[in-house]
Amino acid sequence: MTVEAPVVDTNPLREGLEQERVPDASCLVIFGASGDLTQRKLMPALYSLAHDGLLPAGQTIIGFARPDFTDEAWRMAMRDACNKFARVRPVDEAVWENFAKGIFYVRGDFNDPEAYLRLNQRLQECDRSRGTGGRRIYYLAVPPNFFPVISEFLGAEKMVNDPERGGPFTRVIIEKPFGHDLASAKELNRVAVTTFRERQVFRIDHYLGKETVQNLLVLRFANGIFEPFWNRQYIDHVQFTVAETVGVEKRGGYFETAGITRDIIQNHMLQLVSLIGMEPPVAYEPDAVRDEKVKVLRALREFPRGHEEDCAVRGQYTEGSVLGEPAPAYRKEPSVNPESRVETYSAIKLFIDNWRWADVPFYVRAGKRLPKRVTDISIHFRSAPYPLFNKMSTLRMSSNVLAIRIQPDEGISLKFDSKVPGPTVRTAPVTMEFRYATSFGAEPPEAYERLLLETMLGDSTLFARRDEVETAWAWIDPLLRAWANDGRAPEPYPAGTWGPEAADKLIEKDGRKWRRP
Amino acid sequence: MATPVSDSLESERPVDVAQIERSLAELWRNEQDGDAAVTRAALWNVVAHTSTSEHHAQATEVLSRASAAVPQRSIVINANAAAPPEISSWISANCHLVGGGKQMCSEEIAIVAGGDRIHRVPPLVNALLLPDMPVAVWWMGDLPNEHEEYVETLLDPADRLIVDSSCFDSPQDLELVGRVAAKTTTIPADLNWIRLEEWRAATASVFDPPDMRGRLTAIRRVRVVAGAKEENFFGDAIESLLYASWLTTQAGDGADDAIDYRFERRMSDAVGQIAFVEIVFEDGSSASISRDRERGVLMMNVDGIVSMPDSVTRTIEKQTDALIVRQLKQSSGDRVLVRALPMAAKLAKRLR
Repeated sequence: MTVEAPVVDTNPLREGLEQERVPDASCLVIFGASGDLTQRKLMPALYSLAHDGLLPAGQTIIGFARPDFTDEAWRMAMRDACNKFARVRPVDEAVWENFAKGIFYVRGDFNDPEAYLRLNQRLQECDRSRGTGGRRIYYLAVPPNFFPVISEFLGAEKMVNDPERGGPFTRVIIEKPFGHDLASAKELNRVAVTTFRERQVFRIDHYLGKETVQNLLVLRFANGIFEPFWNRQYIDHVQFTVAETVGVEKRGGYFETAGITRDIIQNHMLQLVSLIGMEPPVAYEPDAVRDEKVKVLRALREFPRGHEEDCAVRGQYTEGSVLGEPAPAYRKEPSVNPESRVETYSAIKLFIDNWRWADVPFYVRAGKRLPKRVTDISIHFRSAPYPLFNKMSTLRMSSNVLAIRIQPDEGISLKFDSKVPGPTVRTAPVTMEFRYATSFGAEPPEAYERLLLETMLGDSTLFARRDEVETAWAWIDPLLRAWANDGRAPEPYPAGTWGPEAADKLIEKDGRKWRRP
Repeated sequence: MATPVSDSLESERPVDVAQIERSLAELWRNEQDGDAAVTRAALWNVVAHTSTSEHHAQATEVLSRASAAVPQRSIVINANAAAPPEISSWISANCHLVGGGKQMCSEEIAIVAGGDRIHRVPPLVNALLLPDMPVAVWWMGDLPNEHEEYVETLLDPADRLIVDSSCFDSPQDLELVGRVAAKTTTIPADLNWIRLEEWRAATASVFDPPDMRGRLTAIRRVRVVAGAKEENFFGDAIESLLYASWLTTQAGDGADDAIDYRFERRMSDAVGQIAFVEIVFEDGSSASISRDRERGVLMMNVDGIVSMPDSVTRTIEKQTDALIVRQLKQSSGDRVLVRALPMAAKLAKRLR
C-alpha cells in the first residue's frame, strides 16, 4: 500500500459482528511456561479464543521457562494440553495449524541476563515477521518471589515501554497470591511500579472472569427492581459460601504457608463481597467500577482486638469421607506438617460500615473437604413485619432469599411464601429459578479466556487494582496475626461435614442459620 | 436431540383450537405428578409462518432443535388460502436433558388453517403468546409483498421479523423488509445475513490493522463472485448484494456512486454463496478474500502479498436451526443490517 491513509480509531466493519472488539496483535510471553497453569488453563484458553475467532491475526505466544524445548516440541506439548483441557476439544486442525504458527519457546532461567537477551531478540523477530508492532504482554505464571527479578530484568533490558511516552503497549499479568500479608503485598506492588505503571499491571483473580460473577453487576445494575431493596431496610443478612470437596491435593506445601483465609477469603470472597456491597458505578469502566469496590473494602469494620473469636472461626478437617470416599485428615496430607495449625475452613462475620449496610451482617465461609463443591451467595430479606398468616405457628416465617449460584449449575433463585391450595390459609416456601444452562444452553467461556482477552484489549475492569489488594490485606491482616499468635489450634471438623460446630454457633447466636447451598 | 420425558409430553396431541392454552396447562399438570424433574422454560415466542405442509414440517423440526439452545413457545402456522376452509391445532412439548438429571421442555403449538379461516390465525396467535416474552415471526419462503396487509397483521405483535432473503423473488421483497424496519417497531432479521457473517468477519480482519482502516474511504471497486446455476433466480444474488451494501454503508460516507460494483456468477452447487471478493482501492492496490473449500476456511490476501498470517475464519455450513438460534440470541436488533437494506434494494435494481 502506498497511499498515506488517515488513522481511524476503530474498525467500523466490526460493528455488529460477534468479534466486535478485536485486539491488536501482540506478543504474549508466559514466564513459567512449563508449569501446570500454562498447560491446564492458559494455553487451552488461548486456543479456545483462537477457535472462536477472537484472537487477532498475528497474535504470538512465547513460552519462557527452564526446561529444554524446541519450538516444535513445545507446540506439540501445548497441543496435547489443549486436547485435554480446552473448552472446545479435540483441537480443530485448521485452527490449530494457524494458531501454532504463532507459538514459540525460549529456554531460560529467570536469573540469567542472557536469557532475557535471547527473549528480546525473539520478540523483535516476531515484530518483523508477525506484525506484533512491539506490543507486549508478560504473563508471570510464577511464584511471587520471582516477580522482582523478572520485572527488574525486563526493565533493565528495556523490554517495557512506558505508556506515558506513547508507542506500543506493554502489560504485565500477575497471578495471585498478591503477597502473603499487607507488608509483602505492598512490597510486591512497590516492585511492580518501579518497572510498570499501575495501569499496565493486570492482577488476575480468576473469579472475576466467571460469567456468574460478572452477572452480579448485571443483576444489580441492569434491573430496576433490585436496587430499592438492596440495603439495610430490606436485607436481614447476606451469606457467602465457597465449599470445596477436595483437600489440598498436591498443594500441601503452598497451603501450609497460606491457609484457606489467604487462599480464598482475602481475594475471591472479598471480591464477591465488594460486588454485592458496592454502590452503582458512574460508568462500566475500569476505574469507575474499582473505585466503588474499594470503597466497600475501606468500610469493612475492623476485627475486635482480643475478641476475634466473636466474629471469626477457623477449622481444620480431620479424617472422614467425602462423596462416599474416605478422606484423610489434613495433617496426614502430603507435604503437610503433622502438627499443622493451618486452617482449612474459615467463617467470618463482617460488617460494611456505611449508610447502605450499617449493621447488616455478611457471613462468609470457605472450606475444604466439605460435602459438596459449591460457590453461592444468598441475600436474606427481612421477614414480613407482622405474621398475618400462620399465627398459630411457632416457627418463624420463612424469609425471602435471593440465591445466586456462582458454580456449578450457575443460576439465580428467589424463595418466597405461597398459599398451599386448600380451604385453610396455610403457606409454604416455593422458589422461582433461573438456570444459565436452561435459558442460554451454550457453555460459557472459561474465566481465563475472558481475562486474557480483556488484557489484550487493555480493559482492566475485571482485574484487581493495587489499592483493592492492599485494602483487603489491611483488613484481614490483624485477624491472621491474632490467629498466628494465640497459640490455639483450629477447630476440628470431620471431612465431609459443613465445618466445625463453632461456625454454626457463630451464626446461630444471631438467631440465624447457614443456608444449605 | 430431544430426550423423551414421557410419551404424554413428546407426542403431538390434537386439541380444540379454543382450548389450546387449557390443554397445555393440563399437559404440564399431568407431568408434575410424575417422577421426572421437568422444567418448562421460554425466552421467546417464535411464530413460524408457512404456506405448504412441507415447509410446516420443516419449520417444526427446525424450531424443535433450536429450542434446545433457546427455550421458546413455538407456534407453527400452515396457512394456505387455497386449501379447504378449516382450522385445526396440535400441542406437544419438546424436551432436552440439561444436566443434573433435569429435563428442560419447550412448548410447541401447530395450527393448520385453510380457505378464509386463515384470517382467524392472527388473533389466535395473539391470544397464545406468552406474556412479557419477546415475539419473533419467522416467515418461511418468499414474502407475499402483494399481500402486505396480511403480513402486517401477523407482524403486529412481533418484535422481530425473521426472513431468509435467499427465498426472495423480487427486489420488492427487500423493499418490504426495509419498510417494516422504517415504519414499525418490528426489527427485521435475515438468515442470509447470518450466512454472510464469515465474509464480514474476514473483510473486517483486512481492515483491523490501524493503517488499513483509513483506506475504507478509498474503495473504488467491489467485485463479488457467487455460485449460480443456469436459471437466474433473484434470491441467489442477495448474499452478494447484502455484502456490497454492508461494505459501502459501514465504510462511512455511503458514496456508492464512487464505487464500481461488479456482481459475477460462477456455475457451482453452492448457489448464491459468495466464493470470492475483491476490493480495489483508488491507488490500484487491492485486497481479496476467497473460500478454501478443502480446508473450510476463508483466505485473505492483501495487495498480493501475504504479509500477515491468514486469519482463520470457519466456513462451516450452518443449518437453519443454528441460524435461527443466532438470531434469537441477539437481544436487540441488528442495526447494521437495517442500515444496509436500503442500499441492497437500490443495488438490486442495477442488477436488472
